[in-house]
Amino acid sequence: MQIKVEDKNTVTICYVTGDIDINTAPDIKKTFDRVIQGKKPKVLVNFQSVNYVDSSGLATLVEFLKNIRAYGGKLKLCTMSPKIKSLFEITKLDRLFEIAPAEGDAVTSFA
Amino acid sequence: MEKQEPVIRVIDLKKKFGDRQILSGINLDIHKGEIFVIMGGSGCGKSTLLRHLIGALTPDEGSVYLLGQDISKLNEDQMDPIRKKIGMSYQGSALFDSMTVGENVSLPLREHTKLDPNVISIMVKMKLELVGLRGFENLMPSQLSGGMKKRVGISRAFAMDPEIVFYDEPTAGLDPIVTAVMDKLIVDLSKALSVTSVVVTHDMNSVFRIADRIAMLYEGRVVEVGTRDEIRNSKNPYVQQFVSGSPDGPIKFFQQKDDYLETLTA
Amino acid sequence: MNFVEAIGGVVTTTYRHIVDVFGLLWDTVAWIIIGPFKRKFPKREGISEQMVFAGIQSFVIVFFVAFFTGIVIAMQSAYQLNKFGATIYVAAMVSVSIARELGPVLTALVVAGRVGAAITAEIGSMKVSEQIEALETMALNPVRFLVVPRFLALIVMLPCLTILSDIIGVIGGFLVGVYNMGLNPYRYIDFSFNFMTWKDVSTGLIKSFTFGVIISIIGCYMGLTTKGGAEGVGRATTTSVVTSFVLIILFDCILTGIFYFSNI
Repeated sequence: MQIKVEDKNTVTICYVTGDIDINTAPDIKKTFDRVIQGKKPKVLVNFQSVNYVDSSGLATLVEFLKNIRAYGGKLKLCTMSPKIKSLFEITKLDRLFEIAPAEGDAVTSFA
Repeated sequence: MEKQEPVIRVIDLKKKFGDRQILSGINLDIHKGEIFVIMGGSGCGKSTLLRHLIGALTPDEGSVYLLGQDISKLNEDQMDPIRKKIGMSYQGSALFDSMTVGENVSLPLREHTKLDPNVISIMVKMKLELVGLRGFENLMPSQLSGGMKKRVGISRAFAMDPEIVFYDEPTAGLDPIVTAVMDKLIVDLSKALSVTSVVVTHDMNSVFRIADRIAMLYEGRVVEVGTRDEIRNSKNPYVQQFVSGSPDGPIKFFQQKDDYLETLTA
Repeated sequence: MNFVEAIGGVVTTTYRHIVDVFGLLWDTVAWIIIGPFKRKFPKREGISEQMVFAGIQSFVIVFFVAFFTGIVIAMQSAYQLNKFGATIYVAAMVSVSIARELGPVLTALVVAGRVGAAITAEIGSMKVSEQIEALETMALNPVRFLVVPRFLALIVMLPCLTILSDIIGVIGGFLVGVYNMGLNPYRYIDFSFNFMTWKDVSTGLIKSFTFGVIISIIGCYMGLTTKGGAEGVGRATTTSVVTSFVLIILFDCILTGIFYFSNI
C-alpha cells in the first residue's frame, strides 16, 4: 500500500495504491491525520488504484470524514471500481460520502 | 484459480474419544462463497466435525485443509494467522460476560491490530449494524435476550472480516420468528460480504432456507452431500427419514427388544 | 485387588494433575519471558484490573485478620512469658512470628479463599460456556490472556499485602502490650525492631511470593479444567481453595525447613 498527497489548486488529493485493510489502515490514518492537522478545506481521496477495502478501511474513512467535518472542511471520494462501490452501498456508506465517478468531476463539484 | 480450490477440504477424517468412534472417515469439500450446511441428529458427530474444522481438535487420522493449509500439522504460532481469517458463532453465543457488547465485538480488533480506538469504535458500530443491534454497545451480555446474544456473537465473528464463518446451531432454542430472522441474517451476510459459511444444525426448516449445499451426517459418516433439491428428493432412506422427521426408519432410537429383556433378567 | 486398583488410579490421576499444573506454570512463565519479544504481552489494563481486585480489594479483610492475629499472639505470648517475668519479650515474639510465619501464611490463606476462589469460578464458568474456546478461535491464547495477568497480579500483590499485614499485626500486638499490659511504648517498639531482622522479613516475602504462584496457578488450572456445567464450576472452586490451602501449608513447612536448616 502506498499513499501520496498532492495539493492541486485548492483541492488536496490523496492517491491511495493497493489494499486498504486491517494491516494498512493504521498507516493510512497517519497520513489522513496530517491532512487534518493542516486543516485542508477541500479533500479528495482517489480510489483509482485501490483493489480492496475492508471494514477497517471503511471505518478509517468514516473517521477521516468526521474529523474533516469538525473543522468545516469537505471530503469527497472518486474513481471507485464497481466492486468497491458496491461495498459502500451494502454498508449504506454511499449515503454518507459524496462519491464522484472521476477526479475531474469531483474537483469541479467542490467549487 | 482460487475458485477451483475448495476453501475447506476434509480428507478421511477419523476421531475417537476413548473407545467411541465419533468420526469414521469424513470426506468433504466446501467451496468459496457457498453456504454449506452440516446436518444430522444429536450425537452424529457434527459438533466434533466442526471443532476439527476450526482447529480446536486434532484428528486421529486424516487431514483438514483450511484455506489451503493442512491445519492438523500446524503448531499454535502457525495456526494464528489462519484463525484470524475465520469467525465462529457459538451455540451458547460464548460472549465474554465481563465485557460490554461493544468490548466483545472489538476484542479481536484491539488485540490483533494497531487500529486507532476511534476507528475501532466506528467498526463496532458497523458490525453491530450488520446484525441490527446498533446502539447496544454499552450493555452487558446478561442484559440481552438469547437471540440478541447470538446476534452479537455473529457480529463478533465478523469483526476481523473473516473469509469463513462457522455457525454452531445458530437457531437452537429460538422462537420461529427469531429463527427466520437468524436464517435471513446468515444468508444476507454471506451474500453481501461474500464469505464462505459453514452451518451446523438439525433444524430442517433452516436447512432448506439457507443452504447452497447440504451434507448429512450419521454415525460419524457423511451419508449424502447435495443441493437443497437433491437432498429433499433423496432416495437414501437415512436422509428421507431425517428430512421428514419420522420416528420409523433406518435410524434407530431404541435398541433391540431381546437385548432389553436380557438386561432386565440379567 | 480393587483396593490396589483404586490407589493406582488415584496415584496416576494425581501424577497427571501435577504434570499439568507444572505445564501451566511453565507456559505462564514462558509467556511472561517471550511475550514482550513477540509483542504479545498482555495489556496493562488487564493486569492492573487484576491487581486492584487481588490486592487493593483484599486489603480490608487482610487488615482485620492481621490486626486480630497480632492481638491474639500478644495475649497468648504474654500468658506464657509472664511466668518468667519477661513480658517485654512479647514485642519480639509478636514481630518475629508475624514477619516470618503468620503474616505470609494467614494473608495467603485469606487471599486463596477470596481471590483464588474467584479466579477459578470466573475461568471455570468461561470454560463451561465455551468462552475459552471462543478465545482460542480468535487466536487469543487463554494462558496469555487470562492466566498471565492473574499470575503477575498475585505474585506482586501478595508480598505487598504481606508487608501491610506484618505492620498491622505488629500494631495489634503493640496495642495489647502498651494499653493492656502497661509496657513502655518506646521500649516495646525498640524490642520489636531489635529482634526482628531483615532476614525475618525477607524469608516471609519469599514465602508469600511462592504462595502467590500457588494460588494463581492452582486457581487458573482448576478453572481451565472445569467440566460439567454450573455444578462443575462449584466443584472446581471448592477443589481450588482446598488444594491451595493444603499446598500453602505444605510449602510453608518446606520453606521453613529450608530456612531453618540452612541457618537463614
